[in-house]
Amino acid sequence: MSHVNRALIPKSLLSTGFALLLLPAGALAQTAAKASQPASSATSEKGERWLHVRVICTQGKRETVRVNMPLELAEKVLPAVNHDRLHNGKVRIDSSDVNDVDLRAVMDAIRTAKEGEYVTVQGDDNDVRVAKEGNHLIIHVVDKNGPKKSHVEVKMPMKVVEALLSAGKDELDLVAALHVLEAQGDTELVSVKDSENTVKVWLDSNSVAE
Amino acid sequence: MMLLAKAALGLGGTLVLAGAYTFREGVIRVDVDEFRTGGSHIHMWVPAAMVPMAMHFVPKHHFREAAGQAREFLPAAHALFKGMKKLPDTDFVEIKDGDQHARIRTHDGKLQIDVEDPDGNVHLQVPLSTLDDVVDQIEESAPPA
Repeated sequence: MSHVNRALIPKSLLSTGFALLLLPAGALAQTAAKASQPASSATSEKGERWLHVRVICTQGKRETVRVNMPLELAEKVLPAVNHDRLHNGKVRIDSSDVNDVDLRAVMDAIRTAKEGEYVTVQGDDNDVRVAKEGNHLIIHVVDKNGPKKSHVEVKMPMKVVEALLSAGKDELDLVAALHVLEAQGDTELVSVKDSENTVKVWLDSNSVAE
Repeated sequence: MMLLAKAALGLGGTLVLAGAYTFREGVIRVDVDEFRTGGSHIHMWVPAAMVPMAMHFVPKHHFREAAGQAREFLPAAHALFKGMKKLPDTDFVEIKDGDQHARIRTHDGKLQIDVEDPDGNVHLQVPLSTLDDVVDQIEESAPPA
């Protein structure tokens, strides 16, 4: 065997060893770099809208639940769920669920009505207020004498309500509502406070809850 | 000697390609620690590329059964994993209850589930692309509706 060939063997083995060491590392680095690209900021790109839910229980062990969900993802996943009453992004409601109140007729009446206060009840036990203000449906309930003294506030854009009711009778179109919600500015949708729990549902452009 | 060198090169090249492919797909990581006496401690790193390959060796009837049971959730899972891949790192769900802590998040293209409890900890990391592949394969095996 020539000297050239003898020199070639260790060189080949050396270069193969080097390549073995470097290539997977390079591939790993590429994967890591690619994966970490979108991870830089809490404010999402393309003006993506996020729905946040936060539940804090102040009693006992101080349970906390936080959910952060991009609306676009929810909009894509919901139509794919076909289970129980949820089909194609629409949820079927039975009249028994709402004590035989024609929810659709009520919402339709509110939608077409002028802005103002529709229901105001001020009692010893509860304060209830239902109003339409600045194209938002406002529901405000204060339980004064209950054991938890709860305070509920719902602020829903009318467009979202309309989208919810855009499906057939006895159905709520969740996907349409999410789609409309995406176009809304930062807003607090639901707030519930009582002596034990705080619940907040809100919408903004941050992927991380406050 | 020349033959040996060629063989070494061939073997080396194959190993390089296999290594690059394996690591490109990422790693599935499972860590389970039970704190009770005699509790199990499982720490596993599996190349994610092996999962879709291994699934080809699973008898088809097992898949058909699984696909039949999970049929209604497969499209949702598919949409979920596809959507998650496009998002920045996100904490989807976080629950804290005294000493217990659970979190579902995406990090570096992986779905990460962490559960910490006084009785034990479970940490799971699976590349989203692997989950998507698995759902794909189960979907393909589903019997016609």
